[in-house]
Parts: sequence; C-alpha cells; structure tokens
Amino acid sequence: MTYEYFERSRREDEDLRQASDYVERDVLAFPTWPHEMIRNLALTSFFLGLMFFISAAVPPHIPGPANANSTPAVILPDWYLYWSFGLLKLPPLNPELTLLGGEKLVSDRVFGVVANLVVVGVIATVPFLNKGSARRPVEEPFWAAIGVGGVVFAFTIAVLSVKNLVAETFPLGPHELFDLTFFLPLVSVFLAYAVLKTMREGYMFELNRRYYRLRPPK
Amino acid sequence: MSLERPDEHDHDAWMERKELSPIEEVYLTVLIWLDRRLRLVDYLELLEDMYYKTNLQMPKSHTEQYDLDNKFWYWYPLYALGSFSTIAYVVASISGALLGFYYAPSTQAVGGETLRSVAYSNVLFIMGDLNFGLFLRSLHRWSAQVMTAAVFLHMLRVYFTGAYKEPRELNWIIGIVLISLTMVFGYTGYLLPWSQLSYWAGQIGVEMALSIPLIGDWVAQLIFGGFTLGEATLQRMYILHVFVLPFVVTGLIAVHIGIVWMQGIAEPH
Repeated sequence: MTYEYFERSRREDEDLRQASDYVERDVLAFPTWPHEMIRNLALTSFFLGLMFFISAAVPPHIPGPANANSTPAVILPDWYLYWSFGLLKLPPLNPELTLLGGEKLVSDRVFGVVANLVVVGVIATVPFLNKGSARRPVEEPFWAAIGVGGVVFAFTIAVLSVKNLVAETFPLGPHELFDLTFFLPLVSVFLAYAVLKTMREGYMFELNRRYYRLRPPK
Repeated sequence: MSLERPDEHDHDAWMERKELSPIEEVYLTVLIWLDRRLRLVDYLELLEDMYYKTNLQMPKSHTEQYDLDNKFWYWYPLYALGSFSTIAYVVASISGALLGFYYAPSTQAVGGETLRSVAYSNVLFIMGDLNFGLFLRSLHRWSAQVMTAAVFLHMLRVYFTGAYKEPRELNWIIGIVLISLTMVFGYTGYLLPWSQLSYWAGQIGVEMALSIPLIGDWVAQLIFGGFTLGEATLQRMYILHVFVLPFVVTGLIAVHIGIVWMQGIAEPH
C-alpha cells in the first residue's frame, strides 16, 4: 500500500518533471564519483603518509636573518620560480632595431617581464589553437613535440637562471649555456616528433589489424 | 461521465475508490499528510538509490567498455595528480593555520644589536622551542613544495592527454590562473620568515614590479607597499598569504573541481 501510494506520488513528480524544461543529459566521460574518488583513496593514503615521512625526515633549513647591507653571493627564489627567473635573464635576445639607430624598443628589464606574460599567454591559448578530438600523443605528433619542447625549455631556462651555480660545476661558458638553453628544446622537439611519427606507423598498423580482425574483408 | 479528465493526483478520490479498512485509512491519511509536508518519497528514493548503488555493479567506465586497459593503465597514476595537489593544499592550510598561532609579521628588531626581526625570531622559536614546531613547519613547507610539483605535473598530464580540448577550455584557463596563484602563494610564503633569502627574493620582486611599463610604480606600491623592503612589505605579503590568497584559491579550486565533476574526467580516446 505504501508503495502503491509512493508509485502515484512518484508519477506525480515524474509528470511535473516532464512538464518542466529541465534537461538531464548523459555526459560522455569517466565519472568523478565514485570511480575516480575510490581509485584515488588508496593513492591518497599512501601520498599523505609519504608527505608526513618526508617532512619528518628532511626538516627545513633557515638561512640567516635579513640584512639589507650584505648581498648574498647567490640570490634565488624557490625552485618553481626558476623558469620565471630565467626569463628575466633573456635581455641578450632583446632586438636592437637598426631603424631606431641601434636603440632598443623596450628596456631589457621590461623585456624580461614581458617574456613571462608571453609564455603564460601562449599556454592559455593552446585549447583554441589545437582543436579536434585527437587525444593521444601518437595521434598528434606535432602538438606532443611542442609539449616536449616546452617541458625541456622550462628545464633549460631554469638551469640558465642558476647559471652561477652551473658555471662552478660544469665547464660551460655563459655563451654556450645560453645557446644550449634554446638549442636543446629544439633538438627535443625534432626528436619527439620523429619518434612519435615512427610510433604512429605502428599504431595505425595495430588499429587496422584490429579493425580487419573484427570485420574481415569479404 | 464528465468530459473533464480525472485528476491523476487526487489522492483522496483514489483512497475512496479503494475500500480501505479503518486502520489502512488512518495509516494512508497520515502517510499522505506527512508526505505532502515533508516529501518523504524523496527520501525513499534516496534510500533505494543507496541500496542499488551498494548492491549493483558499478557501470563500466569508458576504459573498461572499450577494453583500453591494456593500452592505458600507465596513465592512471598521472590522473591522480590533481587530487594530490588538492590534498597537499589541504595539509598546507591546516599546518599553516597552526603555524599562524605562533607567527607575527613584523620586521621590528628584537632588542640588542641582533639583526633578528620579530618574524625571524618567531620562526626560530617555532623551529627550536615549540613542541612539534619543527615538524609543523617542515610539513607546511613540504606540502607546499609537493603541491607546486603536483600542479606542474598535473598540467603536463592534461596537456599530453589532450584533456584541455573542446568542452574543457575554460577549465584549462582557470587551471593556468590557479598555477600562477600557487606560485604567488609560494612566493609570499617564502618571504615570511624574513631571512636573508626572503629579503633578496623580495628585492627581485620589487624590481620586477618596477619594470612593468606605465603602472610599475603603482604595482610596487600596491603589492610591496613601497620601493624598498620593510615592515609594510612583510605585512602585505602576510595578508596576501593568509587572507587574500586562501579565499581566492580555495574558491577557484572549488570551481575547477566542480567543472571536472560536471564534465567528467577526459580520458584519452
């Protein structure tokens, strides 16, 4: 009886819902809850334990108190800002326009700050440049290669930012280091592109083979 | 017979048609009375829902459905990086709130001829004398480092699996704002102990701000409270770190995750 009433009640709701213009849609994606969350639970526990362990095992060091009168030999931000710090050291690339009689359009310091904004801006526009449904790196060797180049550049520019330290450890002059900063990413772009192009052949072969196994030609 | 359609939801007429015993009638009347007011049926639906959720097999994921597991298992740990950065953020905020009890953002010298400011000596107190203080600061610092690292790697994962594409462009941009704010979080936090490194990192920050054309002076005034570092700088960094950024970043993270929830996680197809 209860259920009979609830059936009616529910039908009432159902009718109201149909009368309204609210649309429930299916989304073609992997559900966050519960699939992803449950999978993450195990990883989370492990990860929390790891963080507690590291902080217990490797406590931080604190340098001396601030002193405006003694500049330390090495000034560095935290590691995650090295790339930005490295971009500040790019003024050698600042074009000297012959039209302006060898004068620079923007000062070196402005150039360094603008370089930061350009990098962030380019990353922000990626979804509007790269369209289509392709998802895997093999499907888009070009964009994957650009990505690899970006990662390598982030690393080399970070190394450039600590060039004082590098010069002490490796037999690299400042010019060689500066050239490597731009050369290595280029090399890795070409390498990644070549590798992915080659993999693409095999990948297409696999796809075709699977296709023809499922639907053998008559 | 009338031409009017019978009212489907006229429960009283329905009860009269049914020839109920008195007990049944009382029961149903009470049930309808309560349901009219409290919408019990919704909770019943909730219970049923829970029952089916716990007793039925979960629907197959895209990966299972198309048997892609053999191809994509190696992506899965990378799909947890977003969660990792969120967890690290939670740990950092809890340990940061605890650290806040013992820290004051002041560059006043602590008597004598020492260079030590109040802020610096507070950090020394936390590290040296406070019970579990060293661990607390260590945890705060490490969780911040881990959060930043996880956020960077998360961005790489999103890039290389093409997860920023079509319906998810907005979330990519919110992500870029978040990664920038995370680094601002790190930077402001780096300045708080007012140690030698903090001071000179701050110096670089002021010079960067001053390098911005046209509005450079104004930006330096706004963020660093002047062109030279001092009390105002530290206080501004402190307020940014413990008041402004937490609200902004927490809100943005909520929106970011909310959008992921709505759109689902993009798997490589």
